[in-house]
Amino acid sequence: MLPFRKRLRGWWWRRLPPETVCKLRQRRIYLLPTRFGVLLLLVAAAVWVGALNYAVSLAYGLAFWIISLVLLAVLMAFRQLAGLQLQVEAGENTFLGQVANCRLLLINPAGVERQIHLRAEEGDSTVHCQLPAGGQQSVSIPLLLNRRGPHAYPVMQIWSTAPLGLIRAFSWWRPDATVLAYPHPLPDRVRHADGLQAGKGRSGGEDEEDFSHLAEYQVGDTPRQIAWSLLARRDVLASKRFVSQPRGTAVHELAWQDYPAALDGETRLSRLCWRLLQCEKAGQRYRVRLPDTVIEPQAGQRERALAALANCSLPS
Amino acid sequence: MKHSLLRPAEMAVLLAVALVIVPLLFYLPLWLPALVELMLLLRACLLLRQSRLPGLAVLLPLLALAAAGVWLNLNTLIGREGGAALLILLLGFKVFESRQQRDWQVVLALGFFLSAMPLLFDQSPWSALWLVISLLALTWAMLRLAGDIPSGSARTAVQALLLSLPLMLVLFVVMPRLPGPLWSMPHDTHTAQTGLSDSMEPGSISQLVQREDAAFSVVFSGQAPSVSQMYWRIMILDDFDGRRWQNVHGLQQETAQLQGGQLIRYRLTGKPTRSRLPLLEYPLQAPGGSGLEPGRLFRLASDSDDMVRVDASSLLGSHYRQSLSLSDQDFYRRLPPGNPASRQLAMQWRMQSQGDAGFVREALLHFRLNGYRYTLTPPLLEGDNTTDAFLFSTRQGFCEHYASAFAFLARAAGIPARVVTGYQGALYNPLGRFWQVRSSDAHAWVEVWLQETGEWLRVDPTAAVAPQRVSDGVSQTIPALQPAMPLMGSRIPGWLLPLQQSWQAAGFAWQQWVVGYDAARQLNLYRLLGLGESVDAVAVLRALLLGGGLALLPLLWWWRKRPATAPLQAGRNLLVAALQCHGITIQPSDGPLDMLNKAAHLPKDVRVLLKQLLKEYAAMRYRHAELPAKQVQAWLRQVRSFAQQARKKRQRS
Repeated sequence: MLPFRKRLRGWWWRRLPPETVCKLRQRRIYLLPTRFGVLLLLVAAAVWVGALNYAVSLAYGLAFWIISLVLLAVLMAFRQLAGLQLQVEAGENTFLGQVANCRLLLINPAGVERQIHLRAEEGDSTVHCQLPAGGQQSVSIPLLLNRRGPHAYPVMQIWSTAPLGLIRAFSWWRPDATVLAYPHPLPDRVRHADGLQAGKGRSGGEDEEDFSHLAEYQVGDTPRQIAWSLLARRDVLASKRFVSQPRGTAVHELAWQDYPAALDGETRLSRLCWRLLQCEKAGQRYRVRLPDTVIEPQAGQRERALAALANCSLPS
Repeated sequence: MKHSLLRPAEMAVLLAVALVIVPLLFYLPLWLPALVELMLLLRACLLLRQSRLPGLAVLLPLLALAAAGVWLNLNTLIGREGGAALLILLLGFKVFESRQQRDWQVVLALGFFLSAMPLLFDQSPWSALWLVISLLALTWAMLRLAGDIPSGSARTAVQALLLSLPLMLVLFVVMPRLPGPLWSMPHDTHTAQTGLSDSMEPGSISQLVQREDAAFSVVFSGQAPSVSQMYWRIMILDDFDGRRWQNVHGLQQETAQLQGGQLIRYRLTGKPTRSRLPLLEYPLQAPGGSGLEPGRLFRLASDSDDMVRVDASSLLGSHYRQSLSLSDQDFYRRLPPGNPASRQLAMQWRMQSQGDAGFVREALLHFRLNGYRYTLTPPLLEGDNTTDAFLFSTRQGFCEHYASAFAFLARAAGIPARVVTGYQGALYNPLGRFWQVRSSDAHAWVEVWLQETGEWLRVDPTAAVAPQRVSDGVSQTIPALQPAMPLMGSRIPGWLLPLQQSWQAAGFAWQQWVVGYDAARQLNLYRLLGLGESVDAVAVLRALLLGGGLALLPLLWWWRKRPATAPLQAGRNLLVAALQCHGITIQPSDGPLDMLNKAAHLPKDVRVLLKQLLKEYAAMRYRHAELPAKQVQAWLRQVRSFAQQARKKRQRS
């Protein structure tokens, strides 16, 4: 791409306001003939010149019909995009160096079938989706995460050449959403002896899951705790409470300070990340201590902890 | 996956361009379009078998070879025929070089251009019909090639063409036409000439008469002359070689004048015959773009056989006076040796009659009384003395026989004479309010120069033999020529005559408004619609805005169009309406079971049917996979009949 064109595009995209929901209207739909469309217009011009020269009335008709067809294609291509609704869906966060899926929802409120192509600017993969009348479809655009932390969704180009392939209707959208890049997990074989805090409960034994009573469901209760039979019978969501806490009450401490100060921040985060994943894998309880935050054991801890790692601003 | 998706689309492209070039089979040397069709077929086979394509090293020499063949055959690679030939050759080779979508798009664009080629040769309604078929196929292929609509592409193609049609019509009417060509065209020598040839021998006109196609049409301003006076002169044949009359242009210039007669103005639309115009006897002034030739004939300056429309005027029944010098008189008396009996007969009449006019009367009387027969299929005239054979033994002939024999007799008697060919008569079309002259009206007659008055006199010996030929036309005279149904082999029944007339009127309108829509007619229309006094930028803009607004109406309808109710929903609505007829109200929230429960008190047969319909509805409504449309439609039909019965029942009660 020419540098000038690149700069122009950059300027254009910066002007686009980020939106979580976007409805394509005529103000933001652009129409240009495709290479085939231009070729056909040239053919029409040639037929027209021939008609002029040989005074062939029907050839005038042909030339004008081709031109009308191209004009109609403008309208048809416009209709492919007009009224289309785009929504942000939560993206799938993933680790640094991997490809994240930016998830978007396309809604077709009109009674026409649409053929939509989506492409992230500066990306090379195109997603094609066919939206039946009144239908909707979720698409995911791959985005390579090349640094830790939040990534804004890329500017999307939405285009369609349907149905005739003569005119390309396109529009840009900057989705107001981010996807997080967690640190790349680095194996850390060193045993951090001080990392394990003794739990306050008893160790092991069959009786550790003695049922005590039913209580109202609280956010964070595991599926195992939910009283499914009650839910089925009475339609009441309740949780079982046990006399003792479930197994593995010992809390692992994953701390920033576990590493020598000489080790750089990213590596520390990567190792913490690996250890965190190990804990998750083993079903162990853990606590993450970062310079600015502490993530206590809680429901959805994995995502919170990983997000904290991703968002951690390194002390300089 | 992309490839497998494109493959049927490539087939569609091949099919479309194969359709487009079909009419060229008639206008180009047959081997060329046939070869290209074969190449398209071959390419389709390669496509099916996914074989490798031949390389450029093979293709280019073959292309050169084929182009050389065209050159040998046509002697040209430019102009109408050469250009069309070269273009379809390029098409034939381009498909072998097409791999990607872009290549196929080029093929399609070439197809669009090629669909204009047959129009250069013929602009009949059939050509227009084929053009529409071609466009439909090309648009369909375009949709397939765009690859986005896997099903319903044919319907979308029809819809696209219909929606763009009004816009096309507006552009057709409004966009300015140029009065003349941009550059002069090379003349095609291979153009097949239709109509009268420039010589006459036994059989040359009777061949023409068997064709029913329209030659030209005429609109008279004011009263039309009687049919028997309609002699449309085209050509003068002044030299006889014993069998054939032809024009040797013996007279380079003439000093003639017309005296008396009734002024007739008319507008003539048709193809000139060898750039000559068929004009009513005797034409007064040269219509635009034509020049006067000796013999009071008019010839167009341009050497094309395109349809023309001219305003002409003639002095009907005028005296065509010309002073012939002695050498000119001798020229019109020249005869080859032979036919002694005819010469003797001519001399005998010369002796008996008084003056040239008396001779003519005598000769016509002879034809009338001596058992001559007017027939399309006369016996063959053998030997050298054809005139003798005709006059004394066969006595059967068509107009060319009578004209030839009469001219021979007159010359033998020392009277300057020449044969004139053209058309005689016309048929009025009350629907289109014009006169139609057809190929079957082709005719030949004689003009003799009378010494006494110094004028050319038209003599039609055929009229002496078969008077109704002149008054009623040839089809009334020769039973075999009566318009026949092509399949039943009988006369056109009376109830079909209006149909035939409508067809002719449609052809006339087609000529006037489509093929003949030129700068002059456009200007007339602009004035008529009050768009402006001339076709200038302002007027065109105004017309475009006005017409564009009209053309947008169907587009608006298309834009607003709601999708039809889903068939299942429509069926449910029908069922609800049917139950309403039975006095049962169904809420929108009621499911199939609720509906059945509410209908519990209905007669058993109705209930059984309803139960079955609802069961099918539930099965179709709550299934995951795509339903075959046929099944839904069948169900919908049953629901309709159910609803109809319910309605009937309510009306009865």
